Amino acid sequence: MPISRRTLLSGSTMALLLGRAAIARAAAAAPDTEWRYYAADQGNTRYSPLDQINAQNFNDLEVAWRFRPDALGSRREYQFEATPLLVKGRLFVTAGARRDCIALDAASGELLWMHRVDEGQRALNSPRQLSGHGCAYWTDGTRERILYVTIGYRLVCLDAATGIPDPAFGTDGVVDLKQDIDQDLDPLTADIGLHSTPLVVRNMVVVGAAHTAGDVPRLRHNVKGYVRAFDIATGRRRWIFHTIPKRGEYGYDSWVDSDADTAGNGGVWAQMSADEELGLVYLPVELPTGDEVGIYRRGNALFGDSIVAVDAETGTRRWHFQFIHHGIWDCDPPCAPILCDVPHEGRIVKALAQPTKQTFLWVLDRTNGKPLWPIIERPVGKGDVPGEWYSPTQPFPSKPAPYDVQGVSPEQVIDFTPELHQEALELLKQYKIGPMYTPPTMSRLGGPYGTIAAPGAQGGTNWPGGCYDPELHTVFIYSKTQPSVLGIVENTDTAVSDFPLLHGIAGQAPRPQNAMGSASSALRPDPESAPPPRPNPPGAQPSSAHPLAPPGQLTVQGLPLLKPPYGRITAINLETGDFRWQIAHGETPDYVRNHPALKGLKVPRTGRAGNLGPLCTKTLVICGEAGYFTNPQGVRGAMLRAYDKLTGEEKGAVYLPAPQSGAPMTYMLGGRQYIVLAISGGSYSGELLAFRLPADA
Amino acid sequence: MLAAGLTLLTATAAALRAQESTATTNGGVYSEAQAERGKAAYVKNCQSCHGETMNGVDVAPALVGATFLGNWVGLSVGDLGERVRTTMPQNNPGTLSAATTADLVALILKANGYASGATDLPRDGQLQMMIRIADPKPGG
Repeated sequence: MPISRRTLLSGSTMALLLGRAAIARAAAAAPDTEWRYYAADQGNTRYSPLDQINAQNFNDLEVAWRFRPDALGSRREYQFEATPLLVKGRLFVTAGARRDCIALDAASGELLWMHRVDEGQRALNSPRQLSGHGCAYWTDGTRERILYVTIGYRLVCLDAATGIPDPAFGTDGVVDLKQDIDQDLDPLTADIGLHSTPLVVRNMVVVGAAHTAGDVPRLRHNVKGYVRAFDIATGRRRWIFHTIPKRGEYGYDSWVDSDADTAGNGGVWAQMSADEELGLVYLPVELPTGDEVGIYRRGNALFGDSIVAVDAETGTRRWHFQFIHHGIWDCDPPCAPILCDVPHEGRIVKALAQPTKQTFLWVLDRTNGKPLWPIIERPVGKGDVPGEWYSPTQPFPSKPAPYDVQGVSPEQVIDFTPELHQEALELLKQYKIGPMYTPPTMSRLGGPYGTIAAPGAQGGTNWPGGCYDPELHTVFIYSKTQPSVLGIVENTDTAVSDFPLLHGIAGQAPRPQNAMGSASSALRPDPESAPPPRPNPPGAQPSSAHPLAPPGQLTVQGLPLLKPPYGRITAINLETGDFRWQIAHGETPDYVRNHPALKGLKVPRTGRAGNLGPLCTKTLVICGEAGYFTNPQGVRGAMLRAYDKLTGEEKGAVYLPAPQSGAPMTYMLGGRQYIVLAISGGSYSGELLAFRLPADA
Repeated sequence: MLAAGLTLLTATAAALRAQESTATTNGGVYSEAQAERGKAAYVKNCQSCHGETMNGVDVAPALVGATFLGNWVGLSVGDLGERVRTTMPQNNPGTLSAATTADLVALILKANGYASGATDLPRDGQLQMMIRIADPKPGG
């Protein structure tokens, strides 16, 4: 009698018929699991209760299969950031430089179907290229659909069984997302796209919006990143939420004058979460136009740098919380809030935990937005940028404590040797430093070239987000320590931007920042060549034989300015708000280990800077490394590491030929547990790698 | 003209092959003039995503420092050139000529502290493959 779910369910009958050995075998064959959302569920916990792979056997993992998307798209992709979904033995993911949507056999990696949309110039003009973070799955128990957003910002709905577009959805299975967005957009050139996956909620799919990164915004009046929900059966728009309020809408008055009318961006480029029981969708909203210069979006400017809970059926705001008032540090919420039910003061609170670039984990009641631990508005300093609006205070959570370096002080700079430390202190003299929320400063030749901000503009934590263990009520988050220089320069070149002030470094020509295609490139005059970087700015007296790094480069003899860890994983216990553990994640880079200035020194593992999302299982926290290193055998690669979820102790590590570039996922299929992740980097093009234990384990 | 070009190419290739086991980026494999050309090309094609100091902005990675070197030391210059030539700029890949690509790679090498030399980095990807990216000698 074949062992299947049905036979397992009729256990007593089997006991009579088959005897003990067969029962043992049947018990060992665990039921298949699913992975229906980007991070496991609508709450983005990236958690699975599987434990076939555990601390004792992690090092025995073998590559079950590998899938190379090289043949997809017109060239190879080296930044493969997707996480696949798994439903009934099939993996669904977006892959390749054209962002094709594909289905694979989850046991063998065989390609089952692929769907592509050739969007021509519209795709080349998109601000969000390559394969993105994946797709979404919907079912009513009988029909199955896969939904994904193309590079050119179209929403496609496919039959999951065949990959064929659903003719009942939109026009031949496609909804043009540049239409029906309460704005007039040029379909070819409008600055809007998406990397994150859409989110299925009930019988709708919710779609975010992303734009060109806003350091040097081309236009003041950029596209507004409104969020919409569409009906999965028909593709009709069900609701829209104005992340930048219109006149008369809630939040409009948090802007000075009519700034809300003209500012753009304010999209939701992060993954979203939803609680279908509560009927709420949670939107992490980015900054309006101008990441470091807020002169055209004065005031607190809701809903920039906020989380908004909207009604799942109507898109109406129910509550919101702003993480940073009038943010000018490019620290917009980068990932989904993790939905978690935690014991707090004698009861279970339906909470959410939002990891952020600035490395606060904000823990709020997700029914009403109230914080679990007090949040204190504290005064912060004003800056020197003419015309800028500064918030007098910023919110600081009392718990949990920040999980990475915040603010810059002399104690935080490199100190492997006294000489390196001294050089770092010399470098600091060219910049403004201070605590968190020290504003960007005007960049001046000879210094200060800007404010050194830690966390930097990429965080901290970024798009893959964290994971959550429901048994320990603990969030596990990866963050990197990578400061940025926030300098502001004047701009008179309207071809570059219509902002008079831009993020930049004195002495360098302001440059256009748009990812638009060749059509708009033709409209731009050739920018003048910038002068070469000056190794020794006038006035600086380096105390060592080594020249200081050029302005804007935060390195000391090529080594990172701030001391390690450069990348870490922190376990935060939501029952108490305290850390369970924090470890450096990622082997020391070769260039650090082999650096002549560190010769003879024993440097502990430094961790590695990158954008990583860890996976949580019943016993392990699993995460690949962000960069290459060369092991003692001379083999170049990265490791997939497993840590004990309770203690953070490393329990195992298996070889990856390239760094983790997409967050891992896991599933049980045919009695075997798989771990699947996307890897890529350097000269290694994207690959989907599947691990499982040997058959005789 | 073509014959002369081929002779030059062969001579260069032979010279490089002679050093095949030791040709690294610490051997002065690009020229200052080439890095200057690379700078102009960088401002025009790359700066908008990778930043004016090559430290990366938001979506694009840094092209200098330990993170970048960690991904490329041990590979060949040709690997880097191939990656630039076939995938960059991200919104318009395959439009950079081999000459411009070599100039940009020269700039990247300079920015990472490798000393320049008398001759240009060859524009031929196969020749670039023979040059290993080594740990840079700092203080140069």
